[in-house]
Amino acid sequence: MQRDRRLSTSARSFPGLGGIVNVVLALVVALTAGSLFLLAGDNGPDHIPSYVTWTPETLAAASRGDALRGMFLARRCDHCHGAEGFSAEAYIPNLVGMDKLAVWKQLEDFRSHKRLSRVMNPIADSLSSRDVADVVAYYAKLPAFADSQDNRIFPQSRPDPGHAAMASRLVSFGDGERGIPPCQACHGPVAYRPGVPSLASQNAEYVLNQLEAFGSGNRANDINMPMRTIAMLLTEDERHALAEYYGSGLGFQPASATGAK
Amino acid sequence: MNWRKLRTFLLTVLVLCLIPASRYYQIDLPLLQFLRGSRHVDPFSLHLSGEFVENNLGTEQDPDGSVTVRMIAQQYLFIPHCILVPAGVPVHLRITSADAVHSLTINGTDYAVKVLPATISEAQLQFPRPGEYKMPCREFCGAGHYAMRSVLKVVPREQFPALRPEERGGCAAR
Repeated sequence: MQRDRRLSTSARSFPGLGGIVNVVLALVVALTAGSLFLLAGDNGPDHIPSYVTWTPETLAAASRGDALRGMFLARRCDHCHGAEGFSAEAYIPNLVGMDKLAVWKQLEDFRSHKRLSRVMNPIADSLSSRDVADVVAYYAKLPAFADSQDNRIFPQSRPDPGHAAMASRLVSFGDGERGIPPCQACHGPVAYRPGVPSLASQNAEYVLNQLEAFGSGNRANDINMPMRTIAMLLTEDERHALAEYYGSGLGFQPASATGAK
Repeated sequence: MNWRKLRTFLLTVLVLCLIPASRYYQIDLPLLQFLRGSRHVDPFSLHLSGEFVENNLGTEQDPDGSVTVRMIAQQYLFIPHCILVPAGVPVHLRITSADAVHSLTINGTDYAVKVLPATISEAQLQFPRPGEYKMPCREFCGAGHYAMRSVLKVVPREQFPALRPEERGGCAAR
């Protein structure tokens, strides 16, 4: 009874606004309660691997780059990644033959410091999002095969047969017993997923370093942690075998066609 | 109906219209999600916020003694890769897909859960005896489908450890 009287007096004290005030007040209370309810179940800060989401808008923004402008911007990448996208050191990744989205995602992660590198973080910080799209468009246009006339390090020496067979099995079939999916289902040439790099023209040492970084959690920018999971399941031998397999240029065709059994 | 009542009525209608409109325009305010009461999740941004962020995946102990298991299915893995649950305790499974349609089956049991993108699939499970189960995907989801398989470890209730958030996503905590 008393409560009712109080409510009606407050409505009367704001002549003409009673209805709106009540609705707005109810909304504010509900919004606050709703957010408190959600915060209650929280346990510490979330680990966010990357701010990239593969929505259609992202795909469009990442593929909209101007390759000509990118060509000029990419001249500052030459020193490490090579004038034609083949790097001079095996621990530095080759950028040729890479899908646009793959390089774009890594540059965005370098920009947001979700992937850490003393060299790449400052460089990526100096790029705008338009610069990133342009550089990526340029590298996607380069031919993926190394010119054998040129003195480049890719492909590296062929692996020993035992390693090649082990890698070939993992690349084409994975290991169902342990739940390791085949590499070629995402990294090509059989199938790709957005943002996944092609490994066919990648350096062995770089692949090995990344597998080890994923396995130890030092690199943690894979969305929903597929690579951290897989790298953890791989043995040391298997990591070396896979790195050698891709580094020696065997990755251009489906593994079953490379002859290793 | 006087003008003031009409105004209040129209405002209320407008606010109520915002609930379905928020979905159409992809506005994800927590309250609106709550009001929709939906099992809708955005498959593209599972890793940014909500219950399927990395450190929330895996087995969570509920106050009533049961456990909640949260998983993501994506080509071609179930994340986390190994799940640890106690025997003889209700297990609430909540799983969603980040890409294609998958199906989580638990070999040796009758459980099979269809996993769709943008929707949370729920299932109530219970495992009477300790053991190790393979959990393969039974819905063809792409080139790596045949190797998409994770592991469920059921341990005796007294052996089940109190899981810290960083230990939830795996079997290492045993």
